[in-house]
Amino acid sequence: MGFIMDGLDAEDYDRQYSDWALVKRILGYFKPHLWKMTVVGAVVFLSSLMDLILPVVVSQALDQLQFTPETFDPIATSIILGVAASAGWVANMIRQWLSAEAVGDVTFDLREDAFNAVTERDMSFYDQYSTGRVVSRVLSDTQAFSETVRLSINLMSRLLLVLLLIIYLFTVNVNMTWVLMAIMPFIVYTALKFRTVARRTVTNSRRQLATVNAHIQESISGIGVAKAFRREQMIYDEFKTVNQESYEVEKINGFVFGSIFPILVTIAGVGVAAVVWFGINMAQQGILTAGEWFLFIQGMGMIWFPLTSISSFWSQFQLGLAAGERVFALIDAEAMVKQKADDAVNSLQGAIEFVNMDFHYNEGEQVLKDFSLRIKPGETLALVGHTGSGKSSIAKLINRFYEYQHGQLLIDGVDIRNFNLSSYRSKLGVVTQTPFLFDGTVMDNIRYGKPEASDDEVIEVAHQVGRGDWLVSLQEGLETQVGERGANLSMGQRQLVAIARVLLQDPAIFILDEATASVDPLTETLIQEGLDTLLGDRSSIVIAHRLSTIQHADRIIVLEQGEIIESGTHDSLMADGGHYATLYDSYFRHQSLEYIERMAG
Amino acid sequence: MNHKSEFSIEGLREYNRSGPARWIISHCFEHKPYFLVGLVGFALTYITFSGARVMFGRGAEIIINGGGAQAVVAVSLAVLILSVSDGLFSLMGSMSMVILSTRVERDSRHELYASLLGKSQTFHDQQRVGDIMARATDDVRQLNFVIHPGIMFIFDMVLGFAVPMIYIATINLELLLAPILFVITYVFVVRRYMRRLEPVMMRQRMQYGTLSARLEETISGIEIVKVAAQEIAERKKFRRNAWKFRDYFVQQGKIEAAYLPLLMYGIAFGFFFLHCLNMHGRGILSIGDIIAAAGLMQVLSFPVFISLFSISMIQLGIAGARRILELIEQRADIDENLGGYSAAVDGAIEFDNVTFKFHGSTVLEDVSFRVEPGQTVAIVGQTGSGKSTLTQLVSRTYDVDEGRVLIDGVDVRDWNLDRLRSQMGKIEQDIFLFSRSVAENIAFGVQNASQEDIEKAAREAQAHDFILSFNDGYDSEIGERGVTLSGGQRQRLALARAFLRQPRILILDDSTSAIDSATEDEIQQAMRRAQEGRTTILITHRLSQIRWADRIIVLENGRSIANGSHEDLLLSSEHYRRIFARYGAVEAPVGQLAAGGGA
Repeated sequence: MGFIMDGLDAEDYDRQYSDWALVKRILGYFKPHLWKMTVVGAVVFLSSLMDLILPVVVSQALDQLQFTPETFDPIATSIILGVAASAGWVANMIRQWLSAEAVGDVTFDLREDAFNAVTERDMSFYDQYSTGRVVSRVLSDTQAFSETVRLSINLMSRLLLVLLLIIYLFTVNVNMTWVLMAIMPFIVYTALKFRTVARRTVTNSRRQLATVNAHIQESISGIGVAKAFRREQMIYDEFKTVNQESYEVEKINGFVFGSIFPILVTIAGVGVAAVVWFGINMAQQGILTAGEWFLFIQGMGMIWFPLTSISSFWSQFQLGLAAGERVFALIDAEAMVKQKADDAVNSLQGAIEFVNMDFHYNEGEQVLKDFSLRIKPGETLALVGHTGSGKSSIAKLINRFYEYQHGQLLIDGVDIRNFNLSSYRSKLGVVTQTPFLFDGTVMDNIRYGKPEASDDEVIEVAHQVGRGDWLVSLQEGLETQVGERGANLSMGQRQLVAIARVLLQDPAIFILDEATASVDPLTETLIQEGLDTLLGDRSSIVIAHRLSTIQHADRIIVLEQGEIIESGTHDSLMADGGHYATLYDSYFRHQSLEYIERMAG
Repeated sequence: MNHKSEFSIEGLREYNRSGPARWIISHCFEHKPYFLVGLVGFALTYITFSGARVMFGRGAEIIINGGGAQAVVAVSLAVLILSVSDGLFSLMGSMSMVILSTRVERDSRHELYASLLGKSQTFHDQQRVGDIMARATDDVRQLNFVIHPGIMFIFDMVLGFAVPMIYIATINLELLLAPILFVITYVFVVRRYMRRLEPVMMRQRMQYGTLSARLEETISGIEIVKVAAQEIAERKKFRRNAWKFRDYFVQQGKIEAAYLPLLMYGIAFGFFFLHCLNMHGRGILSIGDIIAAAGLMQVLSFPVFISLFSISMIQLGIAGARRILELIEQRADIDENLGGYSAAVDGAIEFDNVTFKFHGSTVLEDVSFRVEPGQTVAIVGQTGSGKSTLTQLVSRTYDVDEGRVLIDGVDVRDWNLDRLRSQMGKIEQDIFLFSRSVAENIAFGVQNASQEDIEKAAREAQAHDFILSFNDGYDSEIGERGVTLSGGQRQRLALARAFLRQPRILILDDSTSAIDSATEDEIQQAMRRAQEGRTTILITHRLSQIRWADRIIVLENGRSIANGSHEDLLLSSEHYRRIFARYGAVEAPVGQLAAGGGA
């Protein structure tokens, strides 16, 4: 997973945005907060001004003390200092308050957009990109982005202070201001140099950290296996190695980041010494007062720190922009599945027709070629064939998970591309071999496709599946917590929950892809009975390795490399003695009692 | 370690785990020299930095009262030397803190990892992987920041107050009035501030964890989200969680915005300056002294300013440390029992009135049976009847609540865990393969397996041919960046993995369900060979496999309701008859025999 670094690896959907496009887009998110940002701008200016007042007042006070002590009012000076500090503090508070709200909202909006985009991607997207990578984009990248925005606002106020200060210093003494500014190129040069180095070490350190994290992720996910095989020592040794490597890289990275501040302090120190030297000399020529001299020394302190900030924040700023870019790329990624219209589907008869369809997942690996198939409303169709013959692909195409390349898929005579997918899919009921359950109770999971269903409805449906026998084995019945991904339930139980989930949805078309593969024979018998009644008047597509499941079908289609090579009922196909009969002999025969007895004997 | 652990590592350091702060400190103490060098470095930084301020006072005296060129050079040179050494000392301090912090990060990750390996399966079942990951990654990272720059900031705070105040005292003791008052109130205010900030930050972090876990779940289950057309509901859920996080974020921002010490410092400076002017009026301070004093007072602003970040950082780090500690401190229920019984397993398994409860509810109740060495026992029963759990008691993944599980007549709790588990092979329902090469996955259970051994095991499991069909054959990587395997292929690899290990006891938990029947036909031969001479526990729905077991145990809701050979059971168990009847009925007209209803 390595939330942190995954983002650094480019994905296929990544794209380069011009800086301007990026900035414009980011600003777009701030549009609803225009007045807040305006106020932020105003108070940033105000607080910078107040920050400037402090040294200026002190220096003028010192001059008055030296030259006109009789008219000098120490109390008034101190009050000005106190008021300026308070005003600056209040301005700063308003700034932080409003920018926290604005940044919080913008991050939220960005996250929501990213998440919404994610839910719109089709399955080919998820086949390609792992969960961890997507999560990282939606959460970590937006987080990095928001931190950058906060830093930028901070930085702006500092830069403004530098600007105001330099302008003021020029009015005090031009030559001294040049002395002061002479040090700036050195600071900027060092900062830029640092940026290059830091970029490299940060990338290295993230990459290394990701390796460690990936290792932990995998060992924790596979801990059961490691324990069963008693190989803790081996993965522990591997961990030690990657952890140590990460330490070495991280140390270098730390050195780079830890050194920039001291180095700049040293450079600024040289600058201060220069100001002291030139200042005293000028003062002795009568061009500069002691108070002004002190102001320039303080000015040095006020300038180098913001410049340092820019340099130490610069790489982070860049990372933040890059994070923003990644999030936008995710939002903008184009769907492979394209709909031509958005017609709501109110009810379905369940007629399905493939017309001369070509389909492949990856270029050059044709799955279906000129495939035609017509399923009548209410028909139960069993798909039989070797692994890779295209059985599951047919189911996935009906789900509209993937885009096909040629031909047509008609549902009730309407092109599937015309449907609003959400309303269309709610008419489908799909149960797969390894159903996914969400953390929560069994009840929650059954209700997943129909959140408005009452408890009674759920209970009724749950009892329809396998006559409800399976509920007895659940510790707390329908209130049993299924755990992360349903881990507390056995695979068979998960399949039962999934079947109940689909039944509650009351779909027009059923797709059962090895739906009962992990259920014991007795339970399966019971499920079949329940399904038989339900499947009766609906179209259903059944993919199974179980003989018993297939025999009930109205029609059996034998697939080979994406082509229908035979079609008929169990009896007629057996009578034909063709492919099905052969398949039956090699695939299903041994499930018959006769075979079992022979084997045992 | 006084804790039980399934896996222990020799020479692992022990740290003080009585509290998060103590824990961090005990980690730091492992690397004392760096800590000390850091401390000295920062002390010298402040001494030289403040010293430069004093020199500014001298410079002002020269300007006002006049002074020779020599004095000008002396002051300028002093400023130069002090400022440059300030930078160098801070470099020294910073470098040692970097080393310290990265070491603590490394060590604590190490400690956490080792402890996770030692936890029992019960523990891992209860934890979300995402949650553990958040702790092992983000929280450990945060620890690094606690030290660098976190502890560095604490140095800044202590030294940044103390050093300039000592200098101020050397100018005039009376001048300490404002700074002392300030520091005292500062301590109070900051404590209050921390107490307000901490819970918000904690909640924010927890909310981030929830947000992340939920997001991961939705994306993992995206297929069902789409199939059930629940995108809108998922968006709402995400929105709710993201909004909560946003609220905590804003709350934190607002608390930070009202950081009072900055205001207090501004006012204290006003007072301090007034005090200086007053003392100047009384003829105690020269203008040069005022400049030195004002410069020194300004040094105090740095720790005040920096504490705004350092406090958050330290709090975050401590919160992270607490979460890591919680995880480490959770007890492992099973101990590896290093001194336990250690012998070659013969293969006799006996369940003696075993009762097992999981999360408070009974999964197995009073189960008794006996398997002789070399026998194959099939466990049958409805989904959820406790079949998998039963096998997990044999491998001591869990401990029984009542009764005993005996291997070769010795209670599994008395066995050396390593010795026991290393003689068992297991294939689970959910097969986990590591992101390594095919060969490494097959060889996972044994050290130094030769390529021939690996291929032999693969052939036995009917995996050799499909492995060779991959571009890189046995070196093909499995997982995200490598080949994707079908369910049947995964199962065959797991079979090969178990075969290679030559275990005395083989546990097959529905391990052929995803293999198509033609392949299974072939595997069965291999499996029967594999079972020869070793005790095998078989959970299966395939009647062909049940049929050739020596002994069959029928489970129903955690109870063993029948136990015997196929022939025995056909006679004695109605339950068993029903299952077979269904399959007998397959050839005949459908259905009627399977009726008879609920168990």
